[in-house]
Amino acid sequence: MNKDSNTYTFIYASILVIVVAAALATAALVLKKPQEKNIEIEKKLNILASVSKDTGLSEAKSKNDFVESAYDKYIVDSFIVDGAGNKQDGDAFLIDMTEEYNKIKTVIKANEDEKERLRAELRLPVFVCEEDNGALKYIIPVRGMGLWGPIWGYLSLNDDFDTIFGAVFDHKGETPGLGAEIAEKAFAQQFIGKKIFTGQTFVSVKLMKGGAPKNDPHAVDAISGGTITSNGVSDMLRDCLDQYNAFFIKMKTQH
Amino acid sequence: MEEKEPMFSAKILKLFTNPINKDNPITVLMLGICSALAVTVKLEPAMVMALSVTIVTGFSSCILSSIRNTIPNRIRIIVQLVVVAALVILVDQILRAFAYDVSKQLSVFVGLIITNCIIMGRIEAFALGNRPWPSLIDGLGNGAGYGLILIVVAFFRELFGSGTLFGLQVIPESWYIGNGGFYENNGLFILPPMALIVVGLIIWIQRSFNKQLIEK
Amino acid sequence: MENIANIFVRSIFVDNMIFAFFLGMCSYIAVSKTVKTALGLGIAVIFVLGVTLPVNYLLNKYLLTSGCLTWISPGLAEVDLSFLSFIIFIAVIASITQLVEMIVEKFAPALYSSLGIFLPLIAVNCAILGGSLFMQERGYANLGEATSFALGSGVGWCLAIVGIAAIREKLKYSNVPAPLRGIGITFIITGLMGIAFMSFMGIKL
Repeated sequence: MNKDSNTYTFIYASILVIVVAAALATAALVLKKPQEKNIEIEKKLNILASVSKDTGLSEAKSKNDFVESAYDKYIVDSFIVDGAGNKQDGDAFLIDMTEEYNKIKTVIKANEDEKERLRAELRLPVFVCEEDNGALKYIIPVRGMGLWGPIWGYLSLNDDFDTIFGAVFDHKGETPGLGAEIAEKAFAQQFIGKKIFTGQTFVSVKLMKGGAPKNDPHAVDAISGGTITSNGVSDMLRDCLDQYNAFFIKMKTQH
Repeated sequence: MEEKEPMFSAKILKLFTNPINKDNPITVLMLGICSALAVTVKLEPAMVMALSVTIVTGFSSCILSSIRNTIPNRIRIIVQLVVVAALVILVDQILRAFAYDVSKQLSVFVGLIITNCIIMGRIEAFALGNRPWPSLIDGLGNGAGYGLILIVVAFFRELFGSGTLFGLQVIPESWYIGNGGFYENNGLFILPPMALIVVGLIIWIQRSFNKQLIEK
Repeated sequence: MENIANIFVRSIFVDNMIFAFFLGMCSYIAVSKTVKTALGLGIAVIFVLGVTLPVNYLLNKYLLTSGCLTWISPGLAEVDLSFLSFIIFIAVIASITQLVEMIVEKFAPALYSSLGIFLPLIAVNCAILGGSLFMQERGYANLGEATSFALGSGVGWCLAIVGIAAIREKLKYSNVPAPLRGIGITFIITGLMGIAFMSFMGIKL
């Protein structure tokens, strides 16, 4: 057989492609389940962490079992609201925050008339956690941009829809030791007890460079050396929570 | 008829040990530095990266060596790339399924193993002219030599940059200024430029002991 | 529009392929002995990145992303081909460099003699594949952003290699400790250049 003939080359290439494609497709199919499970477990773990229900994970035998059972126990409800505060159909867990974040960006840029219409198209997830003593906490996902890439997190609110009960943040690739510190527990714990409203006006929580004033309920310490990431977190909280504003106000008046 | 060699003859073992020091792909042959220094901030991802590269180098050498007599000359490079890329995809999929946390840290750098010059370099220089078994050993040896440098760099960067090894605190907490001590982590070690400087220093040390490697 | 300019500037100075991600280090070190050849390779990299990345962007958007095949038929919404992305990207890069090489050889022989020798090298330059993988990971919104990222990264890479080549030309006259000569000192200087480039961090237009 002539190795340099066109036919040989062509047949060789075809066989190679078929063999490789078959092998890869099989592998992808077989491994798809555990891969998707990993992503799901991570999301559930983040939601649990925002209400400090992730303690005991290090002692747990199986991470997956621990997360699943804690999630089933504490997260009693989840629903979707739009930017006008009305509930919408659908599974809150399946909402892709990347997509919603892109929508939020267009809402912010739009003029006043457009805003109303665009807000109604948002699909914002809310997760409800029931504490052992029956108190309800509302978990809100947030998403934004840091220095190198996306940052995201979950914020849990008391049922006054004002006081922050807990928070957790994560990032794709912030500078280790600087911006990446937002993923540390110590950073997230600063948010506990802060308030996002003054009276009926939404003000969010800001990261203050050089340290926040002690009694300011709307500020926490920024990360030293991580200015861009810190600003990213401030913007993320302001922009995302603002979209829930109508929902918060509605719930506040019901109470 | 070729003479049959024992599986682990001295010659075969040399194929494995030479690349670890005398023919080290990074510090001596200057191959494959590209893709992986970025994952040397912490030891754990560096270990996984080293292991992945070793596996891909070994198996791609072995596979291509066993089909070396059938590859049409004109599409040689493409065939090599396809085999390497397929192996890398497999490694990536397996990491995503069973070592999800590490695979997140490695992000795009797993994919970049494809263009790691060591792999193509060893296939071209060794595997296409030798039988599968020596090719496998040669590939594994080069992967290991490469991994060794990664792990050494990661060791120093994690130790000085974060005061930890494998995520465990090794510098006593009481040493830190915050706790009334005298010590502070060196933030520079976490930043990318320090990886290059550490490799430079490793080359310096290695060549001080190995005079014949010094460039004129 | 400001976004496109921002991505361009950022990918030159802040997310520099060499200093921030160490991509394309092999050719960076091997071909940086004189400024002239370094410039040739740098331009070739800009060119190949600028061609392959938009192509890969379109492939990623209309072929590889999970559930993106709906433009062919809605029944394909469940198909997820993203596991094939590495192999598709590298195949596109390898074939486009080959194609570019043939076209340049045929229509611009002068350019070929100065640039052509670098083209085969580029197929396995990590910066090229890295560009495509970063594009996929960062999810640029449109073709303009992806192209501006490609050109910016190319220019950044070119800047880095020309810079180091210029330093290495001068370095011949310095008294570097013998074991450090050659690649050792090149690594350390690259590290120092990287530290210098870090002062651009946080740049925003």
